[in-house]
Amino acid sequence: MSDLLPVSTPKQTWALLRAELLRQRKLSTVALLVMLAASGAGLIAPWMIGVLVDDVTAGAGAGRIVGIVAVLVGAALVAGVLVGIGTTLVARVGETVLARIRERVLDRALHLPSSALEKVGIGDLLARAGDDVSAVTRAITQTVPDLVQAVFTIALTGAGLFALDWRLGLAGLVAAPMYVIALRWYLPRSGPYYAKERIAIGERTQALASSLRGKATVRAHRLEDAHIDRLTDRSASAMNLSMDVFRLFTRFASRNNRAEFVGLTAVLVVGFLLVRGDMATVGAVTAAALYFHRLFNPVGFLIMEFDEIQSAGASMARLAGVASLDPPADPDNPREPAAASLEVHGITHHYDGPAVLHDVSLRLEPGERVALVGASGAGKTTLAGIAAGVLEPVSGVVKLGGFDLADIGEARVRRHIALLSQEVHVFDGTLLDDVRLARDDASDDEVLAALDVVGATGWVNALPDGPATQVGEGAHELTAAQAQQLALARLVLADPMVAVLDEATAEAGSAGARVLEDAADAATSGRTTLVVAHRLTQAERADRVLVLDKGVVVESGSHDELLAAGGRYADLWWSWTGIRGVRN
Amino acid sequence: MRRGLLAGAVRRHWGRLLVGVLLLATHQAAEAAVPVAIGLVIDRAVATGDWGALAWSVAGLAVLFTVLAFAYRLGSRQAVLAFEREMHHLRVQVAKRVLDPRGERTGMRSGELLSIASSDAERAALVIRGVAMGIAALTALAVSSVALLTIDVPLGLGVLVGVPLLVLVTTRVAPLLTRHSAAQQEAAARTTALATDLVSGLRTLRGIGAQHTAASRYRASSEGALRASLRAATTTGLYQGVTAAASGLFLAAVAGFAGWFALSGRLTVGELVTVMGLAQFIAEPLRTLGFCGQLLATSRASAARLTTVLDAEPLVEHGTRSVDSAEVSLTLQGVSYRTLRSVDMAVAPHEMVGLVAYDQRDADALLAVLAGQVPEHEGAVLVNGIPSADLDIDERRRVVLVEQHDIALFEGSLRENISGGARTSDDEVSAAVAAAAAEDVVDVHPAGLDHTVTDRGSSLSGGQRQRIGLARALLAAPPVLVLHDPTTAVDAVTEELIAERLTAKRTGQSTLVVTSSPALLGKADRVIVLDAGQVSSVGTHAELVDTDETYRKAVLR
Ligand SMILES: Nc1ncnc2c1ncn2[C@@H]1O[C@H](COP(=O)(O)OP(=O)(O)OP(=O)(O)O)[C@@H](O)[C@H]1O
Ligand SMILES: [Mg+2]
Repeated sequence: MSDLLPVSTPKQTWALLRAELLRQRKLSTVALLVMLAASGAGLIAPWMIGVLVDDVTAGAGAGRIVGIVAVLVGAALVAGVLVGIGTTLVARVGETVLARIRERVLDRALHLPSSALEKVGIGDLLARAGDDVSAVTRAITQTVPDLVQAVFTIALTGAGLFALDWRLGLAGLVAAPMYVIALRWYLPRSGPYYAKERIAIGERTQALASSLRGKATVRAHRLEDAHIDRLTDRSASAMNLSMDVFRLFTRFASRNNRAEFVGLTAVLVVGFLLVRGDMATVGAVTAAALYFHRLFNPVGFLIMEFDEIQSAGASMARLAGVASLDPPADPDNPREPAAASLEVHGITHHYDGPAVLHDVSLRLEPGERVALVGASGAGKTTLAGIAAGVLEPVSGVVKLGGFDLADIGEARVRRHIALLSQEVHVFDGTLLDDVRLARDDASDDEVLAALDVVGATGWVNALPDGPATQVGEGAHELTAAQAQQLALARLVLADPMVAVLDEATAEAGSAGARVLEDAADAATSGRTTLVVAHRLTQAERADRVLVLDKGVVVESGSHDELLAAGGRYADLWWSWTGIRGVRN
Repeated sequence: MRRGLLAGAVRRHWGRLLVGVLLLATHQAAEAAVPVAIGLVIDRAVATGDWGALAWSVAGLAVLFTVLAFAYRLGSRQAVLAFEREMHHLRVQVAKRVLDPRGERTGMRSGELLSIASSDAERAALVIRGVAMGIAALTALAVSSVALLTIDVPLGLGVLVGVPLLVLVTTRVAPLLTRHSAAQQEAAARTTALATDLVSGLRTLRGIGAQHTAASRYRASSEGALRASLRAATTTGLYQGVTAAASGLFLAAVAGFAGWFALSGRLTVGELVTVMGLAQFIAEPLRTLGFCGQLLATSRASAARLTTVLDAEPLVEHGTRSVDSAEVSLTLQGVSYRTLRSVDMAVAPHEMVGLVAYDQRDADALLAVLAGQVPEHEGAVLVNGIPSADLDIDERRRVVLVEQHDIALFEGSLRENISGGARTSDDEVSAAVAAAAAEDVVDVHPAGLDHTVTDRGSSLSGGQRQRIGLARALLAAPPVLVLHDPTTAVDAVTEELIAERLTAKRTGQSTLVVTSSPALLGKADRVIVLDAGQVSSVGTHAELVDTDETYRKAVLR
C-alpha cells in the first residue's frame, strides 16, 4: 500500500484549523467565552459546600442554609443555560469547520493531478474521503464539545483552588508535573504502537476485502484454507497490537491514579497544616478537596478519550494533507487549443520496472480516427493514458492543437480530451443524473438525446422507471455493455474535441461488441479519435492503424496498406478473422 | 438466534470475563470510596488536627488508590482481552462462513460482507464490554448506597430515589435527541457514501472532465448534512443544558437537607462532605449504565447482521460420492434456469467442446449452473453420470473447475497467484504459464515468478491479467475445465497461440470453452450453439461456418 498523499504535520494541521476558525471568529469567540463562563458557574457548588462546612464548624444556626441553597439553585440554573448555549455554539463551530474541510478535501481529491492519482491509487484517496472524514465527524459531534468542557473545567478548577487559598492551590499543583510526566512517558511509547496498529488494521481490512471480493475464485480453486489462514494471521496480529497498546494504556492510567493520589493527599495534608496553624478554615480545605476530586472526571475523560482524540487527530492530519494540496493551477498564460490535432512526441515511459514505451511519436490530424493495435502488454493502455494527458510520461511531450498539454492546463485538457477505458463506474443515483455528470446544466432532453446517439434509448426506456431509474451499486445493476453505453453517452454530452477509447468495446462478447462498436462510432464521429482495440473491426473502420510492439511503433498505415504489406498487422488480421482457424 | 450469538460470546470468555468483572467492580467500589475517604479525612484529621489520624489517613488513601489502580489495570486488561478475542473470533467465523465451499445464500455484495466482517464483528463483541462495565457500575451504585444509608437513612433514601429520578427526567429529552441525531447521522452517512462513490469512479469522472460537477454535487450534499448537524447541535445543547441544570438543582436539594441536618447537629462535617461527594459521584455509574444500555443495543443490532451471515443457508449441500476415474464426462439434462430452457448437452471424456451463446445472458446462466452456485435450477448436471450435487464437495471442485471471466488475482507473487498456494514445482508452473502464452509476463519482470502482483492485479495489463488467470486454471488441471471468454483481452495472435497450446495442454482431459472466438472454436472437437435459451445446433466449427449463416455472422468477424 503506497501512501503517497501528504500527511500534515501537527503544526500544519493546527494552522488549517485556525484558519477555518478565524473565518468564524465571532462565533468561535462567543462559544469559548460562554463555555468558560459555564465552567466557572460549575465551581460555585464546591465553594458553597466549603462555606457550609465552615458554618457547621462555627456552629451557625440552621437558617443559614436558606442562603446557601438559594446560591446553589441560582448557580445550577445559570450553569444549565450557559452549558446549553455553549455546547450548541461549540458544536455549530465544529460542524461548520468540518463541513468546509470535508468539502475542500473532496474538491482537492477530485482534482488531484492525474499523474499524482496514478501514483497514489484510489485506495488511499477512498480511505481519506470515507473513513477519515467519518472518524473526524464522529470526534467533532461526540467528543469535541465534551473535550472543550473538560479542558475548561480543569483550567478553572485549578484557578478555583488558587482562589480559595494559594497554598492549597500549590498543593494541588503538585499533581500537574506528575500528569505531565505520565504523558511524556506514554506518548512516545504509544505513538509507534498506534501507527503499527493502524497499519495492521489496514492490512487486515485489505486481506478481508480481497478475499471477499474474490470469494467465487477462492471457492472454485479450493483456496479457502489458505485465505482463512492469512486472514486469521492478520486479524490476530492486529488484535495482539491492540492488546499491546491497551496494556501500555493501563500502565499510563495507573500513573495518572498515582498523580491523583499525590495531589489529593497534598491538598489534605497542607489543609491539615493550615487549619492547625489557623491559616485556613476546615470549609476552605473541604472545598479544595472537593475541587480536586472534581478534576478526576474531566482528567479521566481526557485520558479515556485519548485514543479517540489521537486517532481523530491522525485522521485530521491526513485530511489536512489533502486539503493543503494546491488546487490544480492554470499555467501562467493558458493556451486555448483551436485545432483538434493531437501529437505525441518522443514518449518514453516506465513504471517501477523496465521501459514500457521507447521514444514513441505519433500525430492525429483533426477529425482523424486512428486505431492502436498490438500484442498484449505492448504498452497500448500506457500510450493511450499518456496521449489523453492522464499519465505523465517519463520523457516526451504531448500537444493538442499545437500547444503542449502543460501550457493548456489540466482543467482545459480534460474538457478537450476524453478518455474511456474498459473499467467503467456507474454512479449512484438516477440514470439521468449519472449521464448529467458530464455537463451539469444539460436538460433532460439533451441527456436523452445523448443516450439516443449511442443507441441506448431502447433499453433505457425498458428500465423499471425509465431514465429516472436508480442505478449504481445496490440499485438496478446494469450489464457491462449497458454501463459502457452510459459512459459513451456521457462522452457525447461532454462533447470533447478528442476522444481516446481503450478497449471500450471488449467486455460484451461478440454480439454485444458490435452494438457497442456502433455506439462508439456514433459517439466519436467528427472527433479526433484514438482507439485501442484487440477487436480489429475497430481498426478496419479507422483512417489509420498503428501497430505497437514492445513499446515501439512498428507499423503505420491504412488497413489496406498494412494488410498488403503482409507484416505484423496482417498477421494479427488473419488470426483475428479466424480464417486460418477454419483452414487448419 | 442473535441472543444465542451474544450469549455464546459471553460463555466463550466467561472465566476471563468473571475475573475482569470482579476486578472492575472492585475498581468502581474504590472510586466510590474516594469521596467517603475525603469526608473521613476532613472529619478525623483536618477538623481535629490530630497527627496520628493524619498518618492513618495518608496510609488509608495510599491503600485505596493502590487498590483502585491495580484493580482497573488488571481488570480492564482481562475484559479488553476477552473483547478483542471475541472480535477476532467473530471476524474469522464470518470469513469462514463466506468462503465456505458450500456457499451462502445471503445475496449480499462483497462490500456489505466486508462491513459485517469488520464493523459488525467489532460492535457485536461490545457485548463483553457492556457486561463488564455494567456490572462494575452496579457495584459502584451498591457501595455508594450502603455508604449513604449508613450515614443517614432518610437522606440516603432521598439520594437513592432522587438520582435515578433525575436520570429518568433528563432522558425524557433523549427521544428528541435521538431523532435529530439519527437524521444527522443519516445525512452524514449519505455524504460519506457520495464521497466514496465519486472517488471510486474518479477515473471515469476524469475521463470526461467531470470532476468539477462532481465536486459541486458533493458540496450540495455536504451543505445538507451540515444543516442537519446544526439542528442536532441545538437539540444536543438543550439536552446538555437541561442535564447540567437538573443535576445542579438536585445537588442543591441534597446540600439543603444535608446542610440543614449538619447545622442542626444530626450529621458531622465529614458526613456532610461524604454525602455531597457521593451525591455527585453517583451520577457517574448511572450514566455508565445508560451507556451500557446503548452498547448492548448496538451489539444486538450487529449480532443480528452477523447472524444472517453465520446462519445463512448453504447454496449446496455436502455430498458423499466420488468420481473414481480419470475419464470424466459432464452432462446436462433438461437444465432450465433463468433464460435457459431445457438444455441438453454433454462433454465427453477427453473432449474439447466450444460453446457459443448468441445471447450473453444464456452464457451467464449456464456458467452459474455449472459453477454449482444455483441449486434452484431445473434438470440435472451429471459428472460421470453422478448428479453433481451428490458429489463430495471437495471432489466436485477437484473434478470440475469453472474459471470466472472476471479474473480475481490476489496480492502476492505471480507464482502464488498461479499455483494458488499449492506446492508445485517451477517446471509445472512454467508449463502452465507457457500454455497460457504468458511467458512474456514472467520474463519482462526481473524477479520472474517472484514478481509481486498488487491486489486485483492492477499492476498488470488487461491481457496479462487474463493470461495469468488462465495459467492458474491450467495448472490446477481439473478433469473438467470450464472457461468463460478466456481471450477477450488479448490480441489475435496471442489468442491463436493460446488456442493451440490450451488444446495441447488439455489433451486427455475434458474442456468446455464458452467463447465466440473463431480461433478457440476452430480447435474444439465440437461446437454447441445456444440460441434463445436452447441448443440450436451442434457440429464442428468448420461445418457450422459452412452451413449455418447465423453462426457465421456470430463468430466470424
Ligand atoms: N500500474 C502499473 N504498474 C506497473 N506496471 C504496469 C502498470 N500498468 C502496466 N504495467 C506494465 O506495463 C506494460 C504495458 O502495459 P499496458 O497496460 O500499457 O499494455 P497493453 O498494451 O495495454 O496490454 P493489454 O493489451 O494486455 O491491455 C506491461 O508489461 C504491464 O505489466
Ligand atoms: Mg490495455
